[in-house]
Amino acid sequence: MSLLVIEGLTLESSGQNLVSNLSLAVGPGARLGLIGESGSGKSLTALAAIGLLPPDISVKGSVRLDGKEVVGAREEELVPLRGAVAATVFQEPLTALDPLMKVGRQVAEPLVRRYRREGRALDRKAVAREVRSLLERVSLPDIDRIMNAYPYEISGGQRQRVAIAMALACRPKLLIADEPTTALDVTTQAEILELLSDLVRENGMALLFISHDLPVVARVVEEVAVLRRGELVEQGPVKTVFSAPSHDYTKTLVSAAAAFDQALEPIR
Amino acid sequence: MSLISFDAVSFGYSSQQQVLHDVSFKIEAGVNVGLVGESGSGKSTILKLLLGLARPSSGAIRFGNEALEPGNRDFMRRYRRAVQAVFQDPYSSLDPRQKVEAIIAEPLRALGISGPRRPAIEAALRDVGLPTDAISRYPHEFSGGQRQRIAIARAIVARPQLILADEAVSALDLSTRIRIVELVRDLSKAMAILFVSHDLGVVASLCEEIIILERGRIVESGRTSEILARPQHPYTQKLLASVPRMPVP
Amino acid sequence: MTVLAEPQAERTRRTRRSLTFSIGLILVGLHLAVALLTLVWTPYDPTGMAGGRLEAPSWAHPAGTDRLGRDLFTQIMIGSRIALVVGAGAVAIAAAIGVTLGVLAAFATRYLDDALAATFDILIAFPTLLLAMLVVAATGNASLLSAILALGIAISAIVARLTRILVKRVLAMDYITAARTAGSSWPSIVFRHVLPNIWPTLSVNFALQFGLAVIAEASLSYLGLGAPPPNASWGRLLQEAQGTVYTAPFGAVAPGLALVSLVIGMNLLADGLRDIGDPTRRRAR
Repeated sequence: MSLLVIEGLTLESSGQNLVSNLSLAVGPGARLGLIGESGSGKSLTALAAIGLLPPDISVKGSVRLDGKEVVGAREEELVPLRGAVAATVFQEPLTALDPLMKVGRQVAEPLVRRYRREGRALDRKAVAREVRSLLERVSLPDIDRIMNAYPYEISGGQRQRVAIAMALACRPKLLIADEPTTALDVTTQAEILELLSDLVRENGMALLFISHDLPVVARVVEEVAVLRRGELVEQGPVKTVFSAPSHDYTKTLVSAAAAFDQALEPIR
Repeated sequence: MSLISFDAVSFGYSSQQQVLHDVSFKIEAGVNVGLVGESGSGKSTILKLLLGLARPSSGAIRFGNEALEPGNRDFMRRYRRAVQAVFQDPYSSLDPRQKVEAIIAEPLRALGISGPRRPAIEAALRDVGLPTDAISRYPHEFSGGQRQRIAIARAIVARPQLILADEAVSALDLSTRIRIVELVRDLSKAMAILFVSHDLGVVASLCEEIIILERGRIVESGRTSEILARPQHPYTQKLLASVPRMPVP
Repeated sequence: MTVLAEPQAERTRRTRRSLTFSIGLILVGLHLAVALLTLVWTPYDPTGMAGGRLEAPSWAHPAGTDRLGRDLFTQIMIGSRIALVVGAGAVAIAAAIGVTLGVLAAFATRYLDDALAATFDILIAFPTLLLAMLVVAATGNASLLSAILALGIAISAIVARLTRILVKRVLAMDYITAARTAGSSWPSIVFRHVLPNIWPTLSVNFALQFGLAVIAEASLSYLGLGAPPPNASWGRLLQEAQGTVYTAPFGAVAPGLALVSLVIGMNLLADGLRDIGDPTRRRAR
């Protein structure tokens, strides 16, 4: 059974369709890339998946997270799903972290929530130990300093690693990453992408990776879905879609990405 | 004689906080140069210096054989006529309360360029591939790519020798980006472009020469094709290895 | 050319806004028409006896008469003229001083800017009325002009602070850098880019301050610091009606209604003004 099943999802706001009749599924351990330009509805789809849509958007269709219906569910029913089933990493790590909370406490928060969920005793030392090991797993240097630092005191790449550590603390079955490297430098992006694919593979997590950047998506997922103005135009394995796109829109995207890629050819 | 030359330029807000260290390079007429660097590399500072919005702490910037003097109005008039700019965000770089006509006319008016303005504006619009009836519209009536075309029209209307492009396509969608890059490539037949960007793919497809900056220093510069094929500096090597590539079929 | 379709919510918001704007326009327009009319005609002589003392409203005296037998409706009509002159005068003075200082502060060096900003804040912390009373006291005699001057100066601090913030926000935009790169001088940038871009917010604030100035002038007059008859304002009428408020309540209610209708009208107008002159909010053709 799939972890995330989206069926006939239609999102509408003030008479305009933002997403139209979208169907997608992500199975356990699968990695799906959602590609789209601005206005494609890709980020709204991510929010719909965890039931965090703004209230002025009307939802039709069905979104099931681990078998439970998200559309129309009450907040109390959704809270246990967030974190336990799906955790999210957003584009801007500075606004995704609480500016007034030290990094260590910030990572401890979802951890404590998981301990409660699992009915484990809240041992402060155990929590501190696990926060440390989480920060190690996202390859942060100088952990003592970073645990006691505020978000503004560390670099953008380090903040995104912290955000990923927080997502990992939930031990989710599905990680949703919405443009997680768009705000980062090229070299930092390469490191974060590598980290993400390693972690997903090691933990057997499923990944829904949302991005406008084709080569970036190709680096972390094996299957892609292409969205255009809220409609799914094409879906398939990365290699097939990127080498033999069938829809005209995908062809435009692929040929544009290939043109910039071609310019770098002497590298290879 | 080079169009622009940086001669051992340093810049800092204080002696502890040096943003640029001993930077030297030349921009020749008609040659596109890519200035590549990550955050903190000093590329925005170089741009600020070139726009005349800041002065170097030491070293000299030359325009032809004259020193760049932001305080000298006569000099700046000549300089601005030769050097115009396009910015990253097409939403904030156009005044929302001005019609396209006034936006594009700004350099003509500000630099006191004589002659009828309307034909010059219409020619600039045609050059960037927009219909001439765009002239009486406001920026919000256009898409991001079209807005960037308007910004480019403003930069070329006075027929400058050099355009400073500050991440000029980074905010655009991929399918729009490729078309704007093609437009810039066409325009660069008539003028040089200094393309400041973190995006190596875009820079490589536009620029014959490339300058790689790291923490305020030039680590490597030269022909783009040679640097891509044989990067010498470890940072350049790391940067090139980091660029995500399309999968090989 | 891409012209984005207008969402439903935007349309309802616009309709609602144009309705408030229309009501505001009608209310303010009514006062303006009455004010102009009083220049050439009033039902009675505002200073002469027109009937018995403290007569209740009737066809002959729609708002009744005061203790000296003067027609109250006539005085209220003249009050419209006084209120509009006070509001417009005070806002004009506040705009001239406030916008100039605000723009200067936004362009000033850091220390001067900090000093100016602190001055604005201190002046704003002073209640407008208190500030106005000080000015009236300083000029010596209570006249319409001294009240206008006092309110204008008091409000200018509010305008200056708002202007400073708005200008700073505009100066941070790329189109300012673009204008500098294009070769435009600072004065030209202020007049071509900065002022047009702060005008929508500023004009809304002017309309609000207009209403506040009218109320403040009424308060000044109520305290006896306004102009004496025949240029009596609504505040003065309220003060005179105070003693007879139980026997002749209409004397207080009528000027009160006039005051409220003008202030509400200005506020509605302010709300609707936001759309006017902003091309991004105008319907795309």
